[in-house]
Amino acid sequence: MSLLLDLLREMALAAVPAVGFALVFNVPTRMLGYCAAGGAVGRGLRMLLVDSHVGMPVEWATLVAAAVVSLIGVQLARRLRAHPKVFTVAAMIPMVPGVPFFTALLAIVEISRSGLTDALLETAITSGLRALFIIGALAIGLAIPGLLFYRRRPVV
Amino acid sequence: MKREILDEPAQREATRLCVQAALMLMQHGAESALVESVARRLGVALGVDSVEVAIMANAVTVTTLCGGHCVTTVRRNEDRGINVHIVTEVQRTMLDLEEGRIDRGSVAARLDQIRPERHPRWIVALAIGLSCACFAALSKGDLPTCVVVFVASTLAMAARQLVAPLHFNPLVTFFAAAFVATSVAGVAVLWDIGTTPRVAMASSVLLLVPGFPLINGVSDMVKGYINTGISRLVFALMLASATCGGILLAMTVWHTWGWS
Repeated sequence: MSLLLDLLREMALAAVPAVGFALVFNVPTRMLGYCAAGGAVGRGLRMLLVDSHVGMPVEWATLVAAAVVSLIGVQLARRLRAHPKVFTVAAMIPMVPGVPFFTALLAIVEISRSGLTDALLETAITSGLRALFIIGALAIGLAIPGLLFYRRRPVV
Repeated sequence: MKREILDEPAQREATRLCVQAALMLMQHGAESALVESVARRLGVALGVDSVEVAIMANAVTVTTLCGGHCVTTVRRNEDRGINVHIVTEVQRTMLDLEEGRIDRGSVAARLDQIRPERHPRWIVALAIGLSCACFAALSKGDLPTCVVVFVASTLAMAARQLVAPLHFNPLVTFFAAAFVATSVAGVAVLWDIGTTPRVAMASSVLLLVPGFPLINGVSDMVKGYINTGISRLVFALMLASATCGGILLAMTVWHTWGWS
């Protein structure tokens, strides 16, 4: 029961940034609902895969979540007559590893400022790799329909 | 049905329309695979035999082939910021022509008509503030922290919108916005608002993560456009570095080392 509540909370909180960033990307108003749904489904699915008994590593869970959102997006795209990336990229924003990304860069600056320590080096490398792999998983996950099903024909 | 061969002025016009469509897509953040496929399909629908597109980081080259003649043209590309509304409209113009809903003559007018519609600025700023507050809540920040993040991010986004019409380099804009966000969050930390200062500092700058270029960059490289992919990723890294500069300056000015 508490897992279900956590899941709903996570999905509701993820829907907001998906729409917020969709506004910055100038997603047409009619499609904002799909961005919210995509953001909620992606982040919710990732949380289920990581936290439940499946216990998947977060990078692989991100790949699966991005692929699922992208597959749904492809179906919607044909109906909306728009490229799926128009709304699926905004739906990925709640999963973008912003904090590890900036943490890695700031740790590198800190190394040059105050000298190399094991702790700083570890922070820089682990956060950087985490950010790198999650971003890769997001982009490849979004490309999955094209890589597997729409190989020599356009989606829209 | 045998295709009619376009005469030279008609082929020139078709080439211009193809490069215009490709350029509009590139300027507003479409991935390379989409730019190439829209330009090709638009050209074929306009009556040329085939279209070849070469995409570089800051220019696009289009060649149309028609009855043994080819016409080539290059356009310089300057980034105008992500605007998927324009991407959608250009693609719909191409689809409408393919499906025969509009004729070849009206394509030029359709493309010229497309305007970058923007959502109202204050709505965008508030939505971004709310988004970052939700990020803070997702990172287990308490309620006062979320409120601080909301204020910091909204002000940072407002600052970004304020300097945007002055045509600064985006690196300058990101630096300034990061300074504003970290200053507000840092001062709130100094005043002991909230029990999760690290979350406040980290979440308030998340509006500056270049998520779209990062995803597009990797996505380009996966699809074989290594060059444009690298330039997108490097530019995203530059934007992130500028953001780090703003964060560091603010932390130095206010003496709040919230990240470590």
